[in-house]
Amino acid sequence: MANLLWLQGGACSGNTMSFLNAEEPSAVDLVTDFGINILWHPSLGVELGDNMKALMESCVSGETDLDIFVFEGSVVNAPDGTGEWNRFAGKPMKEWVKALSEKAQFVVALGDCATYGGIPAMAPNPSESNGLQFLKRERGGFLGSDFVSKSGLPVINIPGCPAHPDWVTQILVAVASGRAGDLTLDEFQRPKTFFSSFTQTGCTRNMHFAYKVSATEFGQRKGCLFYDLGCRGPMTHSPCNRILWNRQSSKTRAGMPCLGCTEPEFPFFDLAPGTLFKTQTVMGVPKDLPTGVNKKGYIKLTGAAKSASPEWAEQDMFVV
Amino acid sequence: MSDDDDKIRKQAEKLLKGDLKAEVFPRAYEQDQILDVIKRLKESDGSLEQRLIIGGFTLYPIEDEDIEQACETCMYYLVHRRYCELPELDVPVEAEWSCRLWRI
Repeated sequence: MANLLWLQGGACSGNTMSFLNAEEPSAVDLVTDFGINILWHPSLGVELGDNMKALMESCVSGETDLDIFVFEGSVVNAPDGTGEWNRFAGKPMKEWVKALSEKAQFVVALGDCATYGGIPAMAPNPSESNGLQFLKRERGGFLGSDFVSKSGLPVINIPGCPAHPDWVTQILVAVASGRAGDLTLDEFQRPKTFFSSFTQTGCTRNMHFAYKVSATEFGQRKGCLFYDLGCRGPMTHSPCNRILWNRQSSKTRAGMPCLGCTEPEFPFFDLAPGTLFKTQTVMGVPKDLPTGVNKKGYIKLTGAAKSASPEWAEQDMFVV
Repeated sequence: MSDDDDKIRKQAEKLLKGDLKAEVFPRAYEQDQILDVIKRLKESDGSLEQRLIIGGFTLYPIEDEDIEQACETCMYYLVHRRYCELPELDVPVEAEWSCRLWRI
């Protein structure tokens, strides 16, 4: 059995909601089939008050083995670095986070807020929020850049707002079943198995991307959302169009631009007002180009692709 | 649809060759300029003349910093229908025309 403890800091519970919707495996499967013993979870734990505190103290003292520590939400340091704005079981949550991280075999930061600070860490960051090992792109975070858990791995970051249930459960299963050695992490400590490809990979609008046909309004079934509606699919690392949401769809498939929520900068608070769903341009050229594409190449490619676009690409082919 | 498009396209061409003063400059390069032009288009009476004036249409491509801003390469342009699909403009055009909301 692998003991798992899950705590929430500056969080909205979105990742918990996502996790509870897991299907393959489900949260129950994790317990019954994959040997994960959930010591406590904000929505599933049965201990309250002093009993909960005693459980955590038992983990900190080493009396209870802590195999996996999952943290959801930002580490709140306000006011003035004390963390008093987020108290839990008698002391600032950040003190629990530090003590439990030192005892855990594996530490998993779940969701944007725990990984990179997310929405609470937006400027001017009044809650002095931090991610576990990053603040946006800057390495360090609450635990420091040198932190490694007892297993020797740094914090495993599973970003997303929220993270897809499968990303969570599959990483937990890998860790609990002794296959953590198979995990390779990218520069932002995200498991490469999920975060090497782009959100655009598998998008049903790729043919419209290729022929440079733009969607101009939400919900349009034809057209690519990158050119006008601010979609960040071509420069965001996630498997949202490979591992579908609710096994059915994805934002871009449904006509909603990708917001880039698995990247450290999310929620891109440097956006100009009114541009959340509008592609920002410089002299008509997108400010953020698909990863690896330069401006000159982009202009040449676009001109050529557009002139070669077939008539069907301009029509709604998804007839009912 | 195509006949209607042709009729409107010819009408637009006639207007642009005439004394209609389209606001070709300043180009809407900054986000607030784009939003301002869009807002004005939404608030206009929606007539062809107003769309051509506020959109800053020309019958030839405007070139800036070696980038030719022709409808032909614009994201809102439907190649086969020869049409600008930006909802606020929504107008038949020609490939070599240009407007100040051009984006690639």
